[in-house]
Amino acid sequence: MLEVRSVSKTYGEGAARVVALNNISLRVDDGDFVVITGPSGSGKSTLLNVIGGLERVSSGEVILDGVRIDNLKENDLVHIRRRKVAYVFQQYHLLPSLTALENVLLPLTFCGLKKDDVRKATELLQKVGLEKRAEHKPNELSGGEQQRVAIARALVNRCSLILADEPTGNVDQETGEGILKLFQKMNEDGHTIIMVTHNLDIAKHAKRIVALRDGGIVDEVSQGDQGL
Amino acid sequence: MKIYQVTVKDIRRRRRRALYTALGVAIGIAAFIAVLTIARAGEERIYREMDKYGPNLMVMPAIHDVDLQLGDLTLGTLAVGDNYIAEDKLLEIRQITDGAIREALGIAGDEDIATIAPKLYITTAVKGTAVMVVGFEPEQERLIKSWWTISDGRYPEQQDEAILGARASAALDVDLGDNISIKEQEVTVVGILDETGSNDDYQVFVPLATVQRAFEKEGLISSADIRALCSSCPVESIADLVNDAIPGVRAVAVKQIAQTEMNLMAKVNRFMLALAGITLVVGSFGVVNTMMSSVHQRVKDIGIMKAVGASRLQIVTMFLYEALVVGLMGGILGYIAGTFLSYVIGPLIYEDLAVSYVLQYFLPALALAILVAVMASVYPAFRASKVSVADSLRSL
Repeated sequence: MLEVRSVSKTYGEGAARVVALNNISLRVDDGDFVVITGPSGSGKSTLLNVIGGLERVSSGEVILDGVRIDNLKENDLVHIRRRKVAYVFQQYHLLPSLTALENVLLPLTFCGLKKDDVRKATELLQKVGLEKRAEHKPNELSGGEQQRVAIARALVNRCSLILADEPTGNVDQETGEGILKLFQKMNEDGHTIIMVTHNLDIAKHAKRIVALRDGGIVDEVSQGDQGL
Repeated sequence: MKIYQVTVKDIRRRRRRALYTALGVAIGIAAFIAVLTIARAGEERIYREMDKYGPNLMVMPAIHDVDLQLGDLTLGTLAVGDNYIAEDKLLEIRQITDGAIREALGIAGDEDIATIAPKLYITTAVKGTAVMVVGFEPEQERLIKSWWTISDGRYPEQQDEAILGARASAALDVDLGDNISIKEQEVTVVGILDETGSNDDYQVFVPLATVQRAFEKEGLISSADIRALCSSCPVESIADLVNDAIPGVRAVAVKQIAQTEMNLMAKVNRFMLALAGITLVVGSFGVVNTMMSSVHQRVKDIGIMKAVGASRLQIVTMFLYEALVVGLMGGILGYIAGTFLSYVIGPLIYEDLAVSYVLQYFLPALALAILVAVMASVYPAFRASKVSVADSLRSL
């Protein structure tokens, strides 16, 4: 379970001070599928980064499975990234020098989990429908394929919480739907998913929608409600 | 997959960049290798020249000149002491000499090391002309006087065979195969020496035992030339040891003319080494530079790796692996380039220098290159490990 308690995040000082998150509180239960939506600059990506420990909060607390992670040292954050939280980025962020399979292997490499690593990674590539592209480098893959590799990579460490920042932002609608189905499948398999998007069509697939504006939560809708 | 494999794959993708970085190391290493190779060739040449000057040590009978004085009146000098050394003292001299050499070189064993060539000088009449007959050990003499060449014939193999200096042969009108009598001993001339420009040209060389027997000097010699096997052996201290230990014997270290040349060369070499050191330092700054820009270029990759669970230590490790590869490449390139360079500029620095590559420098060159590359990468690697995930991924 994830809890965000009164989190604020500001950038810069004095006149250049920008408030990205303004006293946000949010609770995400295990197995939930939350979409954070809002216009550009509303703070949704910042919120995601704060949840994943990629960025420090200015005030407030982030608690993951009963442990405060907002004030963790770098070395302890490594542990969180290896065991608890995985990311899927809009820009895929695959390493260009590695093949699809090797990119999926990468998190296991850093964990030092070498036993059966290739088998695990191959299975995940099968799951995202890319087993035939395993030996291709990212520049030989389409955007949708790259994103599916990134999803396989996010799954390889069996992290329970998957954070996705506009995962369909760079692909066409059809491909985007395929990717979204993968997220739904992941959610059915028990992963908790928090996804940032400004695409309301995608938001409809979620169990819960959190709408941000100017760094604050302006609306919260659970699936089935007709609020949006 | 292992972490180093990630680095290797990355280097493969950016081959050219890694090569540039390696060149920074290679230039410094090449300068070092070139200087060392040239210096070694120069030293070898001087050692060869030293060899031409003959023995390192001469052992002679200790003769004291005593001034004879009566009040204020000087009556002249009197030489006191034997004109000969007992042959069995050579054994003691050998023990001292070989012992000192072993100590200097740090080796063990009990086989003979130094070459000792005893000689017995007698002036006598041969065919009515006064000549210097030298009793010698052909094998030992040949080792000491490496410049000797026989123009005609061969070295003596039997006790009744002799060789003549070129001038002696002409003066005595003796040719190959002629018999001459040394006192009452008949010997056959089996070889004539090429001219050497030294006293040897005027002398008749007969095996030592034959001369000793003919002149009833059994067990005696006039002097002995000693050459230590190594050019760097401590001849002065060996001379001191012999003088202290064996009475009636005077050992003299033959001052090498080449010593001055050696000193000059050492100075030039120090200067060149300093230059090579500066080149290496400059080169390593180049490596720092390219490694830093490598960090900047790969901020995104570092961010990705940290996002999927790489620790700071792992990021540092990856950069040090890269440094290792760069160092290896730089070391190999540097060794090859430096050797090549020494062939080109060696003869320009020391005239007619015969340069030859020195394989023993390869591993030290590799080690130095890796050390430089790793040292130069420590700071960039540290910087890389501090890359913030959010910043690195946002900036794109």
